[in-house]
Amino acid sequence: MKDLKHLIYFENLLQEANNELVQKAIADGDKALGYNCYYLPEVLLNLPGSFSSRLRAPNCTSPDVATYYMTNRNCPYVRSILERAIEGGYNYLNALFGVEACSTMERMEEHFELLHPVENHPFVTHIIDAPIKGDSTNLDYYKVELKEILNCLKDLGIDTSEAAMKKAIEDHNEISAIMQEISDMRKADNPVITGYEFHVIQLVSQVCPHKYIKPYLQETLEELRKRAPEKEFPFRVRVVLYGSEVDDPEFTKLIETCGAMVVADRYCFGMFPSRETIEIKAGETAFDAIARHYLETNLCARFMDPAKIDQRHDFLENLAKEFNADGIIIQNMKFCEFWSYEKVLASHIMINELNIPSCTIEKEYAIGSVGQLRTRFQAFVESLEIKKINS
Amino acid sequence: MKTAFKVAKTLTGLGLLAFLGTFSIFMFNLENKMIYYVIRPLLNKHYDTQTRDRKI
Amino acid sequence: MKLKIKNPLDPVINFVDDKLKKFDPIWMAENGVGGQRTRYYDQTGIAKYREWRGVKDTMQAYVCWLKNLGMMGLMVGRAPTNFLKAFWEYRWMGSYLATFAFLDRLFEGYRGYELKVACMNSNTIVHCITDMMVNIIGNDRRLGGGKNTNKVIGLDEAVPALFIGGFPTLTPIPLQTLPEFVICDIDQHMEPFYIDVAESFGLPADVCSRCSAETGVTLDDAFPIVGLGAISSNTPCNASESTSMFQRRRFEDMGLAYHPFMNAMQHNTPEGHDYTLAEMKNAIKFVEDTYGVKWDMDAMLKVAEESNKQLEYEHIKWDYFKTPYSPLGGIAETLYKLVEFALGNAMNPYFSKNDKKVVKIMEYCYVNKIKPYKGKTRHRAFLWGPSAVYYCDFPTWTQNCWGLAIILNMDSTMGNVFIDTSDPERAMYDIARIEEKGIMRHHAVGGWDNVNAVWDWAKQFNCDMVICNDNVACKGMNGIHSMLEEEANAHGFRFLFLPQDLEDHRTISRQDMRNTINNYMSVVLNEEPLDPTLVEFDDSLAW
Repeated sequence: MKDLKHLIYFENLLQEANNELVQKAIADGDKALGYNCYYLPEVLLNLPGSFSSRLRAPNCTSPDVATYYMTNRNCPYVRSILERAIEGGYNYLNALFGVEACSTMERMEEHFELLHPVENHPFVTHIIDAPIKGDSTNLDYYKVELKEILNCLKDLGIDTSEAAMKKAIEDHNEISAIMQEISDMRKADNPVITGYEFHVIQLVSQVCPHKYIKPYLQETLEELRKRAPEKEFPFRVRVVLYGSEVDDPEFTKLIETCGAMVVADRYCFGMFPSRETIEIKAGETAFDAIARHYLETNLCARFMDPAKIDQRHDFLENLAKEFNADGIIIQNMKFCEFWSYEKVLASHIMINELNIPSCTIEKEYAIGSVGQLRTRFQAFVESLEIKKINS
Repeated sequence: MKTAFKVAKTLTGLGLLAFLGTFSIFMFNLENKMIYYVIRPLLNKHYDTQTRDRKI
Repeated sequence: MKLKIKNPLDPVINFVDDKLKKFDPIWMAENGVGGQRTRYYDQTGIAKYREWRGVKDTMQAYVCWLKNLGMMGLMVGRAPTNFLKAFWEYRWMGSYLATFAFLDRLFEGYRGYELKVACMNSNTIVHCITDMMVNIIGNDRRLGGGKNTNKVIGLDEAVPALFIGGFPTLTPIPLQTLPEFVICDIDQHMEPFYIDVAESFGLPADVCSRCSAETGVTLDDAFPIVGLGAISSNTPCNASESTSMFQRRRFEDMGLAYHPFMNAMQHNTPEGHDYTLAEMKNAIKFVEDTYGVKWDMDAMLKVAEESNKQLEYEHIKWDYFKTPYSPLGGIAETLYKLVEFALGNAMNPYFSKNDKKVVKIMEYCYVNKIKPYKGKTRHRAFLWGPSAVYYCDFPTWTQNCWGLAIILNMDSTMGNVFIDTSDPERAMYDIARIEEKGIMRHHAVGGWDNVNAVWDWAKQFNCDMVICNDNVACKGMNGIHSMLEEEANAHGFRFLFLPQDLEDHRTISRQDMRNTINNYMSVVLNEEPLDPTLVEFDDSLAW
């Protein structure tokens, strides 16, 4: 396939958190609002005069200082974020909005208050508690916690009115529509986009100010509409990538170089969930709609009520069907308590109850042990091929 | 009176015997030795042969 | 209060004590001819003979043993068939046979009033646990059930069952406590079996071993089957949330209705309290629907009053802990508080009856300036963070070996909330706050301030040292590792991390834990052990 016009530009944008589009928005006077987790609605951080910046720590291979603070027995993503903060990589931020989604993340976010690594003014940190069920009690609590975020935004001089929120939802829905169309292209038998390319596009949509990245995404969509696919599907099998945090497109590339196209991405930073359309139902305020939407669509492994647990497995099954996947790669970040458990449960359900071939792996934040992972992926691809031949 | 004395004597004797018995078990740690070296190994053998409904 | 009565047998007792003192491990250590470990077989932790503590104290320990034996006999007698079947059915049940050795380990080296109090507390603990075992084993459907099978409600072991006090016809039981939590205290070799089961299904070895073991029990189908429903929880932490996913499947398989009861993770805020209260009300509704019973506020308030009474006693004890004259401390305090809070749930008045007697003895010791452990305490330490349950007698060892008294444990501060019983709604709110501040949660979860509170606690209790249990798999506590170290320096405390793996001694053994203390005491503080036989010994095959 012909190279995408902006792919290299996108790749460059992913080289550091404080990329050129972020700098451009800051120069406009917009407030840069950092966050880590889907529990914190991106749309609330994109109110007029502000932009969201989902935190990554690209190329962080040895988070030594963060390891001093948090030990080497903790999630490498979290340590890498803290390391990057201490290095000064987030000095552009005006806020970090954290979530007690997991205790490790919460501890890392607390270090933003304790060590003051972000040298910027104003800079505020606020950590919300996050609901663990999807019922109305938990929705109410979620709203109460999100209102605390709104209070912080107000203090930063950001307009949090109903009109501003509606505008933010509109902006979210626009960018989501673009991403949904690009994502759906992966459903084709011979898609015009690779999993790697999609991963890069998805990431830039989350780490760059929407107002600046949206035209590039729109242009890329136009390009993809016209793009001719390869003569033959260039991969041996199609897989869904499921699990914890993945913000390094090289990981997707690694899977694809083993012959498996990543046709769907159900992980933190992935498409599912992130780019669903937010609908304001009758009688709802924009804020209510946002809270409901993010609780309903959240598929985090920490949910404990049966309905939410089943929702994430049903969703995964449907994703595999919809995207015509041959199998699922279930990954967890090393030391991630939630996804360590979910990996065991999901692989059991997929393999034994739903008869969907799955492979489980554990990974570091920065892709290090490529050899071992490659062997695992190659073996999985071969097993899927054999299964196809036999059927 | 004689019977009462006899009963008291028997009871005291039994009490003394019970005390000597239990105190010996206590002092020489006999129950723990029995459990550690005899009962637990036998039970563990049984547990190792159990078939359980092991599943997710 | 007069506790000492002149005994006409004293001269005889003194004579015997003098003749047999060479068998007393404390005398042996003082005279360089042995010590506590001299009477043990190598590795097994089985003593050749029990500790000779002098006539009076040995008799005290004997009577305590006899009482415990009696309570256990009664327990089996209340449901003999079920208990026999349970020993056959459950691997973990076999480990309960190690209870006597466990209790011996806990109070090694205790004499006089500290022994008396420890015996009273130990009898109360055994009383409570045997009661609980009758409720569980005696009603286990797997073993044939019992008359109260449908009147038992299972809760996650870390959930304070206090709120079930509003259902006086129901008996709450902590589901995982028998197969996992208590048994880990008693037998260090039990939980590794279940951890291996969980890992054989692919669970990584770096998750919290407590939850890994719970998962193993679930996967191995080793839960007793009681009641009609089960309540799981996110207490204390993330791993508890995760293991619930597996338990839900097993419970449903066992025919039990399932309900997750959430507590706010950030539990210092009014919003968090409101959330927990709402969640608690949902859990109450679940119980009403599942069991067809109605919530009884009057019954709840009675339990709340008992809870307040127990907390009042606790505060009195705390005042004595601050002095050098408390005969209660170490594991005698910690384990008792844990059982009282987590298993008694203010529904067992036996605890306050015992407390009443214990505080009298504490008062006596304070008034008469009687120092425990023959006045050999050199340092007073606050033990922070969740303790390694496979090494329950660790505080006893620190005292006997180095004169390092563990004054209070982090989990002894849990549930430190008085319930306002004058207003039912306010009472419910306070109960919800107690729910939030449960085991391994009050200070280990919910933000840095909760963890950092250690210095105030330690100062309040006149401690010169803080030992922080470093559970290698506890992600939350690992996350503030160095901040704690830096704060310790700032506050001027002697501070050390004590690495351990909660329920898996294979990762960090008891000797590894002892070595951490040994190194600190000998290298950093340049001190000599009180009992050199305790410095290094092999108890790898011990229960």
